[in-house]
Amino acid sequence: MAVLACLCACHRGGALEDAIKKAMVQRDTTAQRFDSICGIIKANPDQYSAYVTQDGEINYQALAELVEEVGASLRPAMHWNVMAYGGSSFSLTVYFERSGSMVPYDDAGGHGQLKKAVNDLINYFPAGDKAKINIVNDDIYPYKGTVDSFLQDRNIYASTEGVGNATYTDFQKIFNKILEAQTPGNVSVLVSDLIYSPADTKDVSIDKILNEENSLATNMFKRYKGKSIIVHKLTGDYNGKYYPYNNNAVDYNGMRPFYLLIIADTKVMDAMAQSKDYQQFMDVQGSCGTYRFNQGESSVDWNVVPDWKDNAGRWRVSRGDRCELTGAEADATTGVLKFAVAANLGALRCPEAVLCNDANYTVESLSGFKVEIAPIQPDMLTANNKSYLDGKTHIITFTGDYKGPRDNIKLSLRNDFPEWIEQSTCKDDTNVMAPTFSSTTLGLSSFLGGIQQAFGAGNNYFTMEIAIK
Amino acid sequence: MKRIVFLVMGIVITLAFLMMSYSQNANIFELLYFSQGFNDQLYNLSCYPMVAVIIVSLAWGGALVYYYGINSVKFDRWYHWLGVLAVVTCVAPVLCYMLISVLLKDNGLDYGGEAAQFVMQLFAMTAVLYVVASYSVRWWSSNCRHTPFPQ
Repeated sequence: MAVLACLCACHRGGALEDAIKKAMVQRDTTAQRFDSICGIIKANPDQYSAYVTQDGEINYQALAELVEEVGASLRPAMHWNVMAYGGSSFSLTVYFERSGSMVPYDDAGGHGQLKKAVNDLINYFPAGDKAKINIVNDDIYPYKGTVDSFLQDRNIYASTEGVGNATYTDFQKIFNKILEAQTPGNVSVLVSDLIYSPADTKDVSIDKILNEENSLATNMFKRYKGKSIIVHKLTGDYNGKYYPYNNNAVDYNGMRPFYLLIIADTKVMDAMAQSKDYQQFMDVQGSCGTYRFNQGESSVDWNVVPDWKDNAGRWRVSRGDRCELTGAEADATTGVLKFAVAANLGALRCPEAVLCNDANYTVESLSGFKVEIAPIQPDMLTANNKSYLDGKTHIITFTGDYKGPRDNIKLSLRNDFPEWIEQSTCKDDTNVMAPTFSSTTLGLSSFLGGIQQAFGAGNNYFTMEIAIK
Repeated sequence: MKRIVFLVMGIVITLAFLMMSYSQNANIFELLYFSQGFNDQLYNLSCYPMVAVIIVSLAWGGALVYYYGINSVKFDRWYHWLGVLAVVTCVAPVLCYMLISVLLKDNGLDYGGEAAQFVMQLFAMTAVLYVVASYSVRWWSSNCRHTPFPQ
């Protein structure tokens, strides 16, 4: 009995690990629950000295590693980004373009969609109250006011009048400065109409300007490794002078697109995309087109769902670094092996139409496995599969004529350039009466295409490998 | 010397059983019966160590009760020993079933059928551990040390 008592008392859990495990199993990964876990450490600082700093504060880094370790031991493995609760969460820097063609977006008579979008970004960012704000045109200038004064400012362009030279936007200088200024964990957001308007373009053909823009984007972004950029297209009311590429200003009153470029290290972007705390920040309201530029592939959280209505055949998920289905047998009647995988594809920030189109995926396997992708709906959740679907956005169903003895399935989502970028691009913006003027931007695809080329066109968003034995 | 060897072997086997109840990839409770979703939940809810402790407690407790509690010449026949085995072997799985059912229900899970099939293997495990415990502790019993097999 004494041996049993010792075993029970000394089992690897301990109060701290047990509390973390319980919170994750119960899917109660909230700030309140995290505080209660910190309470265990603070109540016994000597016992949990590894999770306390020299100042007596919680060592978030060490605790995050423990949480990750406990989460990895669960079935399926779980993640809980507790770093967000620590002081070392991500920081936000906003770069607000103030060129001549941006001012009419914040016209007093309009709906103020542009300012609303920026305010939302700051408000929904967990550390948004500490955001740094910069004004951008020929260079980057710090905003003189506070975050609160920026949020409350009803006419931001009037209050920033005279800052820099608003007659042109030096993309090269701006992007280089943004990327150079990025510290670990920093998230930069550029609010811009993405119209390439360099100085001295008189008598220069539009094709030449667009090619220059494309080369410039490629040249700039290829120098910065490990970055990820999400571009959101939004539209807002525009009332004022519009400056086409030939610089013959025309009055325009209508809708115009503008863009939010969220720039961060790929790991930071992945962490934000998978964190509930950053969900509202990432889900930009009013976005009518979005695309994520990635260097390398993203890590997607996924797991096999054993309790799924469409599963056919038998298998057993083995634990380890690699997903393996051992003892796999096709269904005796149909000869088909069918299994479901739940994945957090929402973290990729791809349009739903792209994610749910089977044609965008490449599947390699000996047994000719095919996939079907569907978003997870609330009515799909049952008590028994909830833990497998929690935090996931899509169900990927693999179907193949598996005859054994082994197979290796490799699934990739191709990172194809989205159609909406081409559709949002024009090569001539001199005719403001053109029907596409309200939804297109001069040379957008040249600029974004340049970034795509810099980041390595043809990359996959993610790759998933499943071994079957 | 033989007695000590049997006792040590019994403790080693029991400890190995307890240790294997913690294993993630080769858990002793997943060798005879496995249903992915159900077993995953048992693992997450730390049911295996609890089930192992119940089985070990009842098997060793039953053996100790028989050899040192009952310890009477009136009950030193093999079928008396077998009677205790039968009681222990029935009680342990029932207790485990009740424990598992409560834990699963508390977490909103519905695995009634799987739980019933799972505890079937516990009958055999409890019986084996009862035999192991008997061979470990019987040597110092004044009246029953020859049961079920003579020394």
